Amino acid sequence: MKRADDKQHYLRFDPVLAVSVTGLVLFGIIMVYSASSYNAEVNYGNEYYYMYKQIIGAILGFSAMFVLSVIDYHILIKFRYVILGISYVLLILVFIPGVGVENYGAKRWINLPFFTIQASEIAKFGFIVFAAAYMAKNHKKMNTFLGILPVLAVGASMCVLIILEPNMSITMCVIMLMFAMLFVGGARIKHFVLMAVPVLLLVPVLIVLEPYRLDRLMAFLNPWESPLEEGYQLIQSFYALGSGRLFGVGLFNSRQKYLFLPFSESDFIFSVIGEELGFFGCVAVIAVYVVIIWRAVRIAKNSNDRFGCYLSTGIAALIAVQTCINIAVVSGSIPPTGLPLPFVSAGSSSLIVFCASVGVLLSVERFSHKSVKCLIGK
Amino acid sequence: MISITFLFCALLGRLCYLQLFASDMLSARAAEQWYRDLPLKAKRGTIYDCNGNIIVDSKDVFTVYVRPRAVTDRAAVAKALSSALNLDETKLVEKLSRSSVSEITVKKGVDFETGSYLRDLGLDGVYFSVDSARNYPYGKYLTQVLGYTNADNEGQNGLEGYYDKFLKGVDGFSLTATDNSGVELENNTTKYIPAVAGADLNSGIDVEIQSFAEAAVDAAKLEWNALSASMIVLNVKTGEISAMAKTPSYDLADIPRNDVNMLNAYSKNTMIVDVYEPGSTFKIFTTAAAIESGSVNDESTFFCPGYRMVDGQRIKCWRTIGHGSQHLAEGVKNSCNCVFMDLALRMGTEKFYDYLEKFGFGSKTGVDFFSESSGLLMNEKSVKTVDLARIGFGQAVAVTPLQLISGVAAVVNGGIYHTPHFVNNITDGMGNVLYTFSDENRRVLSEGTSEKMRALLEAVVSEGSGKKAAVEGYRIGGKTGTAQKYENGAIAQGKYVSSFVGFAPAADPQYAILMIVDEPSSYAYYGSIVAAPYVGQVFKKIFDYKGIAPTEEIKEKEYVEMPFLDGKGLNESVNALEALGLNYEIAGEGEKVISTLPLVGEKVEKGDIVLLRTE
Repeated sequence: MKRADDKQHYLRFDPVLAVSVTGLVLFGIIMVYSASSYNAEVNYGNEYYYMYKQIIGAILGFSAMFVLSVIDYHILIKFRYVILGISYVLLILVFIPGVGVENYGAKRWINLPFFTIQASEIAKFGFIVFAAAYMAKNHKKMNTFLGILPVLAVGASMCVLIILEPNMSITMCVIMLMFAMLFVGGARIKHFVLMAVPVLLLVPVLIVLEPYRLDRLMAFLNPWESPLEEGYQLIQSFYALGSGRLFGVGLFNSRQKYLFLPFSESDFIFSVIGEELGFFGCVAVIAVYVVIIWRAVRIAKNSNDRFGCYLSTGIAALIAVQTCINIAVVSGSIPPTGLPLPFVSAGSSSLIVFCASVGVLLSVERFSHKSVKCLIGK
Repeated sequence: MISITFLFCALLGRLCYLQLFASDMLSARAAEQWYRDLPLKAKRGTIYDCNGNIIVDSKDVFTVYVRPRAVTDRAAVAKALSSALNLDETKLVEKLSRSSVSEITVKKGVDFETGSYLRDLGLDGVYFSVDSARNYPYGKYLTQVLGYTNADNEGQNGLEGYYDKFLKGVDGFSLTATDNSGVELENNTTKYIPAVAGADLNSGIDVEIQSFAEAAVDAAKLEWNALSASMIVLNVKTGEISAMAKTPSYDLADIPRNDVNMLNAYSKNTMIVDVYEPGSTFKIFTTAAAIESGSVNDESTFFCPGYRMVDGQRIKCWRTIGHGSQHLAEGVKNSCNCVFMDLALRMGTEKFYDYLEKFGFGSKTGVDFFSESSGLLMNEKSVKTVDLARIGFGQAVAVTPLQLISGVAAVVNGGIYHTPHFVNNITDGMGNVLYTFSDENRRVLSEGTSEKMRALLEAVVSEGSGKKAAVEGYRIGGKTGTAQKYENGAIAQGKYVSSFVGFAPAADPQYAILMIVDEPSSYAYYGSIVAAPYVGQVFKKIFDYKGIAPTEEIKEKEYVEMPFLDGKGLNESVNALEALGLNYEIAGEGEKVISTLPLVGEKVEKGDIVLLRTE
């Protein structure tokens, strides 16, 4: 009977989620090619440079997704400290010369023989696993400040390491992720207010410490004031989106990709999507994200234990937060930060981690028998 | 979940605004950066003379560049370039060896033949760009008239500047789709909006006559070691400026752009923008006004004791021993200052000024040229009697050379004042006429007065101080002028402006010529000696060139021998010369002759002008 159950486990999976994610990743490969072919030809003499890297990332990502989807996610509870430890090691390795790679003035990458990995991408996942496991085990203590302190400590220490790289955007991402998970875990409102104070205090301190952030902030309010400096990137993104109009200029026909729009294949790939596929294309892509998040939330609702619920919620929140921030940046709705669009932006680390986390979602779905009432974010 | 939905909706709203409502503005701005528009320079218009000869046009010139890293055979490239472009081969090899420099401009302004030859050689690493440059077939002619263009082919001054909006045409451009660094895209199809060539100026300048004028000013400056020499030839029937020459000057093919002071000084058209005290040539207008206003007639007599007392001031005649009693014709021939003081005083300020203003003094002629001067005519209300007398013989007044010759043209052409001008009309490449000069001519004198003036001025050349402007077989009229220069409000000793204004043929004048020699550094500073001969030479050339036949029989020339006058008294010497039938000028203020020109014993044509130098 047990064996039959196991077999049933292998057959069970969420086809909507799997198809949506696979489709989005494949679409991402095409968009990465379209957005980067010219840039890659100019800089590397090979128009497929970024696309090949993305395909390798997708293969590794799908593999991770499949492996994690067939493994019972409860194994993650056992390995939660290992995963957390790896996360910290990676975050610290970034600062070691020769291992860490500095790019655009920030140390975010670790050099591996075949590709570089972005430590903070893995750390986000590490945090989700740790927080979900901790909250599942200590759910009774969650309404006390002492109870939520370990989660806060881990989140805050990660934030400090990430912000030292420096990487403001992933820091913000981790903070929002932390709040979302604590909220779902049952933390008190007054504790949120208490936590919000240092975060709000941190913002001006960071601006004073690194004045370029203030320039970036101003640029977001009126990019036309400095069209060649701070405002440049945003204006180029506007040009791309504006040229797209309702139906877009057609796949592969972007003009902004001809070196006008920086990071067109990574952080600003959504601009190219908007240019080539128009407003309808943007709506369709956002719809796919909404479907993915909806399925993730559904899996959280239907999971049969707190750990699965919290884990799924964390992953759903990560995807939602990062997608929202990315699109908000691209459309000039918030100050620009460098955050990839999940599943689509060029970048193997991000792609593999997101695919892996979807693998975890599929595992949660597979190993859930009965639904457990679980608090869901409003 | 609700908050996530709300966030996505807000983002969709923002995208909707950017992609649907702001898209026109955004895509228009984006298009600006997607295309590089390279200007296609319009061909600048041509300036023609009255016979359709090209005075200025545009030619294609090459700029030769080398990108050292792209050169495969350094020695061969250096050899080919140095021999074709007249450059030092070793230096060029050295330049080509500097691989740190991405691009070297080898030479600009390479003529089309040489450029095409080099281009056809197909040397590796050698690049060419074709530009348009001004081309002056006549080199240094008309330097101050034409002006010049700057490096962008925009007219700066002269006719190039004044008519720039006609000459420049409309630049076209090509739109090329490029990436952000300006590299053309693979699938680009360049759109061309062709340039519209500039219009052509059809001027009244006659390069043939200009060449006579250029030769005259060059020779005069050299002969008299003068500061400058200038000449205007005016068509008296139309107001067309046939020639305008000035030296020192520079060759238009080699504009001294690096020497701003020289460029400014030599490019200035002093004949239009500067004033000078005309001296005796101005007496023409005093006489004409007096005749026209009836203030004088053929019977009027004047007595010259060598000076006039005006308002208690003693104003000298140039001949300090006096001219005695004279009729008007004699007065004009003798250029007797007393006669013209009397004429001015007889007319009075109001009447005299009416005529002077009609002749165009005190106001711009309206010539098609920038920065024209109005001349300096005293305010009518502040003219005192002394001033009036002085203006009568050409002092206390300053005019531009162009004002003077335009006035003279009106005096001798039958009494009509024509606006002087360079350009008659402007045509575009399709033959459309874009501009036509309209002459606001006005009558200033009656036919009769004009005829009288011609006769009076003809006598100056045939019998008086204008003798050296005479051309055998032709009737020429004219008037000499010698004025002292003022510096800082005081007379500059030994500095003169010597001039002569003439017209021919005297019976039916076609051309007037004004010759001005500024500061001849010689004791012979008289317009009659310094300037008049060149006017005669230019008239002779014009007669030959225009096929104007002589009207007078060529008389056997009578010669007399120059008497010995050194050390003799001035009166005695003058009487001796007059007895021989010679005219004379006196240099110096003394009463004793110290030398003569020509020297004693030399043959002199009867009626010619000789110079007496006194202590």
